[in-house]
Amino acid sequence: MDNTLYVGLSRQVTLQRSLDVTANNLANVDTAGFKMESLIVNTDPLDAPAPTNTPVQYVLDTGLARNFAPGSFETTGNPLDLAVEGDAFFTIQTAQGPVYTRDGRFAISADGTLVDKNGNAVQADGGSTINLDIKKSSPSIGRDGTVMQDGVQVGKIAMVRFADRGALSKTGDNRFSSPATNPPLPATDSLLRQGVVEHSNVTPVVEVTHLISISRQYERIAAMMNAASDLSKQAVSRLGRVA
Amino acid sequence: MRALRIAATGMAAQQLNVETVSNNIANMNTVGYKRQRAEFQDLLYQNIERMGAQSSDTGTIVPTGIQLGSGVKAAAVYRITTQGTLSQTGNKYDMAIDGKGYFQVQLPTGETAYTRAGNFAVNQTGQLVTTDGYSVLPQITIPQTATDVSISASGQVQVTLAGQATTTQVGQIQLANFFNEAGLEAIGSNLFLQSGASGPPNVAAPNSTGFGKIQQNYVESSNVDAVTEVTSLIVAQRAYEMNSKVVTTADQMLASAAQLKS
Repeated sequence: MDNTLYVGLSRQVTLQRSLDVTANNLANVDTAGFKMESLIVNTDPLDAPAPTNTPVQYVLDTGLARNFAPGSFETTGNPLDLAVEGDAFFTIQTAQGPVYTRDGRFAISADGTLVDKNGNAVQADGGSTINLDIKKSSPSIGRDGTVMQDGVQVGKIAMVRFADRGALSKTGDNRFSSPATNPPLPATDSLLRQGVVEHSNVTPVVEVTHLISISRQYERIAAMMNAASDLSKQAVSRLGRVA
Repeated sequence: MRALRIAATGMAAQQLNVETVSNNIANMNTVGYKRQRAEFQDLLYQNIERMGAQSSDTGTIVPTGIQLGSGVKAAAVYRITTQGTLSQTGNKYDMAIDGKGYFQVQLPTGETAYTRAGNFAVNQTGQLVTTDGYSVLPQITIPQTATDVSISASGQVQVTLAGQATTTQVGQIQLANFFNEAGLEAIGSNLFLQSGASGPPNVAAPNSTGFGKIQQNYVESSNVDAVTEVTSLIVAQRAYEMNSKVVTTADQMLASAAQLKS
């Protein structure tokens, strides 16, 4: 009898977590380079204790699927907005080591280095940084990441890819970090687009549908738990009458 | 419930977005105004089940793990310093910069401010000043006997004096440039101040390498594009609605949990 309550509870817990993930997707519907996530939910069979030993299928969230599909591209015309076509990431140098991002809305620091919006330097090929000359015109950035100022090459923006993107973890600030077992590899097949921003890949319609589905499922489970509660109440009252 | 707090961060972010867009639309006809853009970043993530954790004694590894995000934050309101369109006014003291650079203006406090708005005038002593009456640096005085003023692409201010056939140079406009224009601190009245983020100014004559040229009789309109702003407004409004939908959903779930029979 109690199993009904516990199975229902296991689903309600995963539904709440699902709602948290959907809420985070919707909060980041306008965050450049954001990649949407969904919760992976599985059955978790457990043998009930003797004497019944009937297996009970609990629900367990076992992981998070991250969708790395590209977001929509918006042309802004701002020379420091960059978007990656392909599966590559930009590398940002931080005090805690390199982090990776798809958000290419860069800026120039007070000393002329190409930086992200938190002021961390964007890595160039070979581990250096891109240093611009104030006396020259705005940088023009080629499809392969070459940064030119007045026809002179000042550096090449590093683009990296990963053998296993599933191993990346999000660290906030639109960044990903990668464990040492999944090192960045040079991405030769990805191209840059200057003056373009990659938007979030969250599909609002899908997320709102998730919201409805989550809330209705939660209500149905609640109804099932109420029904189980009614059953046990009836059982108690009828058994009492017989005695 | 985490979802309620996450949705609140989403609504706050979209509110900032609407505020930024409304300021852009309000300044659509402000000379030298540069549009701003609210930029967002995701907040920190909490590892519920760390990726790469062992899931059994035989060494199987959790491939993805569970990371719960905590919403969104505003990273910056970034000023996009692309060129605005030049519009002809016919006013001889109007100047537009076609390219990079800022006019230098002396504030009453003695500080130097920077501006792209070149709708200048002369004051009672003949000095070239902004619409607020602050003098343009380096100071240029137009003689009272001048019958015509011409300003060259490289910023030389020349006047034709009454009764003279040749022109006389009375001053030279100097422009300032910054590594990080977007890092200048806006103080209103189309003026900017140098900040730690912008870097020090690099001053040179117009039309020299890396600097724009001066166009007399023109002003630079704002670079706000009405269609882009209205589109951003729609996006912001819908995103706000969807975040409020999350609040409703979370609330319904809490209600049905509270009504469970014991």
